[in-house]
Amino acid sequence: MIRYTNLVRSFGATRALNGLNLEVRTGEIFGLLGPNGAGKSTLINLTAGLLSPDEGEVSIGGNPAGPGGGSRSMLGVAPQALALYDELTAEENLRFFGGLYHLAGRDLSGRVDWTLDFAGLADRRKDRVKTFSGGMKRRLNLAVALIHDPETILLDEPTVGVDPQSRNAIFDSIEKLHRGGRTIVYTTHYMEEAERLCDRVGIIDHGKLLALGTVEDLVGEYGGRSAVVVQTGGRETRIPTDDPVAEMIRLKQERRVRGLRLESPTLESVFLNLTGRHLRD
Amino acid sequence: MREIITLARKDLLLLLRDKAGFFFTFFFPLMMAVFFGTIFSGGGDGSRRMSILVVDEDSTEASVKFTEKLGGSEALKVERSGREDAAEMVRLGKRVAYVAVRKGFGEASANMFMGGTPTVELGVDPSRSAEAGMLEGILMQYGGERMQELFSNPALMRQSLSGALDSLTAPGTADFPEKQKITRFLGELKLFASDTGVRSADSGGFPGLTPLRVEKAAVIREETGPRNAYEVSFPQGIVWGMIGCAAAFGISLVMERTRGTLVRLRIAPLSRSQILAGKALACFVVTVLISVALLLVAWLLFGVIPGSVGKLAAAVLSISVAFVGIMMLLSVLGKTERSAGGIGWAALLVMSMIGGGMVPLFIMPGWMQTVSDFSPVKWSIIALEGALWRNFSLVEMMLPCGILLGVGILAFSLGVRAFRWTE
Repeated sequence: MIRYTNLVRSFGATRALNGLNLEVRTGEIFGLLGPNGAGKSTLINLTAGLLSPDEGEVSIGGNPAGPGGGSRSMLGVAPQALALYDELTAEENLRFFGGLYHLAGRDLSGRVDWTLDFAGLADRRKDRVKTFSGGMKRRLNLAVALIHDPETILLDEPTVGVDPQSRNAIFDSIEKLHRGGRTIVYTTHYMEEAERLCDRVGIIDHGKLLALGTVEDLVGEYGGRSAVVVQTGGRETRIPTDDPVAEMIRLKQERRVRGLRLESPTLESVFLNLTGRHLRD
Repeated sequence: MREIITLARKDLLLLLRDKAGFFFTFFFPLMMAVFFGTIFSGGGDGSRRMSILVVDEDSTEASVKFTEKLGGSEALKVERSGREDAAEMVRLGKRVAYVAVRKGFGEASANMFMGGTPTVELGVDPSRSAEAGMLEGILMQYGGERMQELFSNPALMRQSLSGALDSLTAPGTADFPEKQKITRFLGELKLFASDTGVRSADSGGFPGLTPLRVEKAAVIREETGPRNAYEVSFPQGIVWGMIGCAAAFGISLVMERTRGTLVRLRIAPLSRSQILAGKALACFVVTVLISVALLLVAWLLFGVIPGSVGKLAAAVLSISVAFVGIMMLLSVLGKTERSAGGIGWAALLVMSMIGGGMVPLFIMPGWMQTVSDFSPVKWSIIALEGALWRNFSLVEMMLPCGILLGVGILAFSLGVRAFRWTE
């Protein structure tokens, strides 16, 4: 479990986190949604021990985050920027980072084999990273985070700039980790990713947690009403409703419609309703 | 320590993979050392000697002996030629000068006290006037040696005096005011030479007639100059290797930050000091390897033999410590790789310029030699030369080595303190 208690962190006059309280449960995939500058990366950096809070605390499995807290070996981090050595091969990168976590000999070789298989890069293990595609680098970036078999994994926008095939491969990998009982914190701009992967989602903006729950709960509570979109001639009319089926039947009977479309509330509408702006603004 | 070694091993592997970096770290300094050593030593084939042509128009025993002496000179590369060809070669700039031994040289040489003076003609390329002065000096030296030989050899002297007296007293010789005095003087001189016997100057014959005897004193410190130019160029090459290494590792530390790998290192169970120590260890190992590699090449191929291996090891280790510290300081000079690289190289080039890494210190004006005290390059070269050929004592080695260790520790401390851990 990761626990954030009354977390405050400022950068000069800007308060990136403003009294945030949150618990990420063991074994869940927790989605952290928010626009740029919302405080997601600050939260990730505090969890990884790269920053210290001005106030409050972060604990991972009961240990304080950061140097000397004993939490670093429990934590795997795939940073948003690809943090790899281009001139080394995939295997050399994994061996190097594994060595920093005190892995050696057969243990290290076993973990290197496992992570390469996991990332689908076993056949490219001897190739230098600079020859990899963007998607392959992303998968290796994730593999490096897993080399020491951590219990908790922080994935900071792990699908940025990858092709659909690699994105699906990354989703499959994350679901495998989830099934293996790992706790995963996942930050993203993409609602569909959060909807597909996350057990619970936290919506963060201006350093505060605005809402927390499952996707269904959040959509039900903050998504607003469904809407029926009516096409008549060259025009489209959006009609919000609590009973879309009845509304569609009524419209079909009353008007000459060329088409009807149902718009259900999504995380995007949740975010719009909570913050007044779109997630990718 | 295991983590530090893991970090250092990674950096060494990265250096090996970076072909350009590897070249500039290891081979460029070697090329510089060999290149400048070859230039200053003349390549060991005598190409620094002045090329002249000799024309012997007299073809007497004396003229042959004189031209042989010129040919044996260490400063000259002598070829024989005809007069016209010699003048043409000099005119075309293909030779520095020609020396023509004119007819009558042998006769004049035999009659030292009477008759004409032995004469040579010197034709010099007008654009090489500096060498002309040197060549004149060499010719005068050999002329002087010939006179000295005459005065030192009683038999030759008697022969020459007899010839002169015969000329003076021969029937039909014109009278002139001092004829009687000169005849009397030469007669007395001949008598003196006969009394002295046949002993030569070397056996104590005419000690008073030897113009100057130069005796070499066994002053060890002056005797132990550089045995060849490579003993000067290889210390400079080693320092250039160190400079390249400091720049490369300083920039690589900035790259760790800008490319995000520093984040991974900081997330790993490592302390900040371990991360920097890993980089420092890799830099230290490479600087020592550069030094050892260059010194081995210098020893095996160019005959550079250290005066003291222990002192040389102390010099190399001190220089390595200094440049590891400088590497750390360079890594905080710029935010990006480009700015760190630009500022770093500029700083290192200035250090090298004022420290004698490019131009030897003795050529610089006095004020610049004082300024050079602030350059670790100067102390590095002094430390290496002290161990290689200056025959420094342990106490004398302590000054450059101590300064280098101090520079290293101070620069490393400042660099660690100012290092930016985040973008």
